[in-house]
Amino acid sequence: MPYCYYTCNLLPLGLIARAGYTPRWLGSRLVDANAPARREALSIHPMTCPYVTKLVAAADALFAGSAGGEAEERRSGPPSEASCDRGGAAGAAGAAGAAGAAEAAGAAEAAASSTQTRDLTGALRGDLGGSSDDCLVVPGGCDAARRMGDLLAATYPELVFVLSMPRSAGPEAVKTLAADLRRLEDRLLTRGAMTPAHDPKPGLAPGTAPSVDYPAVPRPGGVFVVAGPLTDDSLLRLIGRLGAHVSGLESCTSPDRWRPLATLDYAAPPAPGQTADAAVAAGAAGRDHGDLAAKMLETGMCPRRSTTQRRAHLGRRLDESRPASIIYARQSFCDPGAYDALLMAQLARERGLPFLEIEVDFPFEANGPLLTRVEAFLEAQLLDDDLLDRLDDRLDDGLDDGLDDDLGDTALS
Amino acid sequence: MPGMADVTGDSFSASLIRGAFLAQTRWKAMKSRTARRYMELHALSASLELFKPGAVVPWVSYLFPTELLASYGITPMIPEIGAATLTGTDLRGPVESAADRMPLARDVCSYHRIALAAVENDMLPAPTMCLGTTPLCLGKECLLEMLALRYDAPFREIRVPLPPDEVEASSEVVADVAEQMRVLHEDIGRWTGRKPDLKKAIGLSNRASAAWGRVMAERLAGRLEMNGRRTFATVFLGQLLWGTEEGARDFERLLTERGRSDLLAPALDEGRRLKRLLWLHTVPHHDSEIFEMMERRGAVVIFEEMGQMHLETVDPDDPFPGLARRLTDNVLWGSSTRRARLNVALAKRLKVDGAVHFNHWGCRHGLGSLPVVRSAFVEAGIPFLAIDGDALGRGGAQQEKSRQAMESFLELL
Repeated sequence: MPYCYYTCNLLPLGLIARAGYTPRWLGSRLVDANAPARREALSIHPMTCPYVTKLVAAADALFAGSAGGEAEERRSGPPSEASCDRGGAAGAAGAAGAAGAAEAAGAAEAAASSTQTRDLTGALRGDLGGSSDDCLVVPGGCDAARRMGDLLAATYPELVFVLSMPRSAGPEAVKTLAADLRRLEDRLLTRGAMTPAHDPKPGLAPGTAPSVDYPAVPRPGGVFVVAGPLTDDSLLRLIGRLGAHVSGLESCTSPDRWRPLATLDYAAPPAPGQTADAAVAAGAAGRDHGDLAAKMLETGMCPRRSTTQRRAHLGRRLDESRPASIIYARQSFCDPGAYDALLMAQLARERGLPFLEIEVDFPFEANGPLLTRVEAFLEAQLLDDDLLDRLDDRLDDGLDDGLDDDLGDTALS
Repeated sequence: MPGMADVTGDSFSASLIRGAFLAQTRWKAMKSRTARRYMELHALSASLELFKPGAVVPWVSYLFPTELLASYGITPMIPEIGAATLTGTDLRGPVESAADRMPLARDVCSYHRIALAAVENDMLPAPTMCLGTTPLCLGKECLLEMLALRYDAPFREIRVPLPPDEVEASSEVVADVAEQMRVLHEDIGRWTGRKPDLKKAIGLSNRASAAWGRVMAERLAGRLEMNGRRTFATVFLGQLLWGTEEGARDFERLLTERGRSDLLAPALDEGRRLKRLLWLHTVPHHDSEIFEMMERRGAVVIFEEMGQMHLETVDPDDPFPGLARRLTDNVLWGSSTRRARLNVALAKRLKVDGAVHFNHWGCRHGLGSLPVVRSAFVEAGIPFLAIDGDALGRGGAQQEKSRQAMESFLELL
């Protein structure tokens, strides 16, 4: 099956799989930052968040055909786990979608054989008839993401679909999103994809979604981490290495977010075995995109969403996680993140929790100054905890002594 | 010499100073009898009312249909205009210091950063309601809703779907936006307890629109050449006055030679033909050096992208669809491809010698569309320059770099 890459996991992956594509997060296909840039590579303004910058480069490399690894991958089947990018998300079964690794490998081989005889650049740029053609969906939640979609759609018009994402979740917003989802599905189907597959949980196949997970079970009394997209759990591991533990992660790539999103699907799928043409002809009948849109907006409570709703969501998550401190890992040049960090700082103040905001790159990298800041922040807390424990012990001792005295007095009387 | 802080207080002495300050501004306007001076007087005068105790202070987005407020005799507080005005006064130092102390990330749009610092330090009046529109950017929606939460004020957002690239927004979309406006207009009445007179506000707004539309038509036809920077500054302030008697009269002043005398582009100098430029996005408000250098080098901005608004009148008996259309089809809304197409067409129509895109600090909306806009101009064979800067900045290394880039560009032309 061809890949349908996507930039943000606020997307019903089931819908993509049913249209005959293997969904795949573009964040797992990043270009090596040290590799020499192509002369004609797309350039974007440096005052753009690293996530968007890196994804534009990744999409450009894929679609311009200069991604040697991708071309190579098509010739030799899906990459092994070991050959994946730093996130490890582009796993071998990235093409799995429905039917497990064996079928996925078969589908990828079929795709590879049809691609071998053609120039990849030409295939991706113009010839849209083949089922091996990949495409990209860009959910345009924030201005930067929307403009990323604009740029890629202008450069690769037939390959990129920009999906507008509303801030609110009101009935009209849901209606508009439902219509856009329907358009997306129709477009994917009419692009000549294969017969829709029928895997109930395609999003959970390795490589299809961001693969960040908690390195250890989160528990109260630790650090609550808020972050933008992450390729892996290195930020969480860093906290563990520094002697603290994690109470929760709030990120668009956190397991609490991507798992429910990855399994989203509409209620009434097309009949099994239905061809692409038939599915298109069926139109909207039986496809409840409204319900899907509502669920997407309910689950995807990210920083670009309504501040009021986001505040309630964050408050709820803090109450559930019961952390001892909060670290906000914000990407530079991220507007929603900037205002969200203010909101989180306020929530931290209200709860008397220490708060640290750090500026991070994408993918996350624990460089020297950042490491020092996190270390100092956590050390201060551990010190505080230690002091508090000792104070508690002393108070307890004092209280016990007093109690003994009181009891003694009572006994004497 | 009284400063801005003296005229915004609510003491008796402040009201005396305010009166004297406005009398001086009025004297200047009466002497010049130009639309620009009167617009400054009326915008300032109306805005100072917002500082009085008990005033209704609606913080609104730049493209908000202010007629909905004028209907109740309310003046809007537009963060971009507030920030630009303050940084042009003796409060520049204090507001910049306050912004530096703020925990909000420094890479956020400077208009919004300064506005937030100003309201939190009593340099701008606190909101009693916050009213946004999806156009143009997400950042200001985040700002407005956050302010609403902090000041316990109601927040409403007019949700405007993106228009198609090639055609007008559909009538369903316009109807949806119109309905949102109708409900919001009623809400404002409920919140303030005032009685509306929307028909009167629309009538006054139409007078202003008719005048401004005529001026713009003359400019587009090449029969009238105005200084784009000054004209933009005038229209920028005029945003506060749509739907008011003063606004109607001030825009109508532009129809007379005298009324627009200080907005005209420089005349031809000893037979030399001036290089005529189209300016895209906002302008540096306080840094005239680059424009003075342009004039010395024989170039002038004759048209500004952001001046293209309120060009058509709306039906006073059914105003909401007309007001909605101004938002749905605003030239600055929509995809980068749409913006590029409209601007290239504009440049061709005006037969300009080149176009300049001002990359305003932190504006993801503007910066994000730059690559597509640039390539469209290059493809059309129209010289194009993008310069980085801060619309609120004054001097500094960045401005110097932009000045040098502009110098080279003009040499090339």
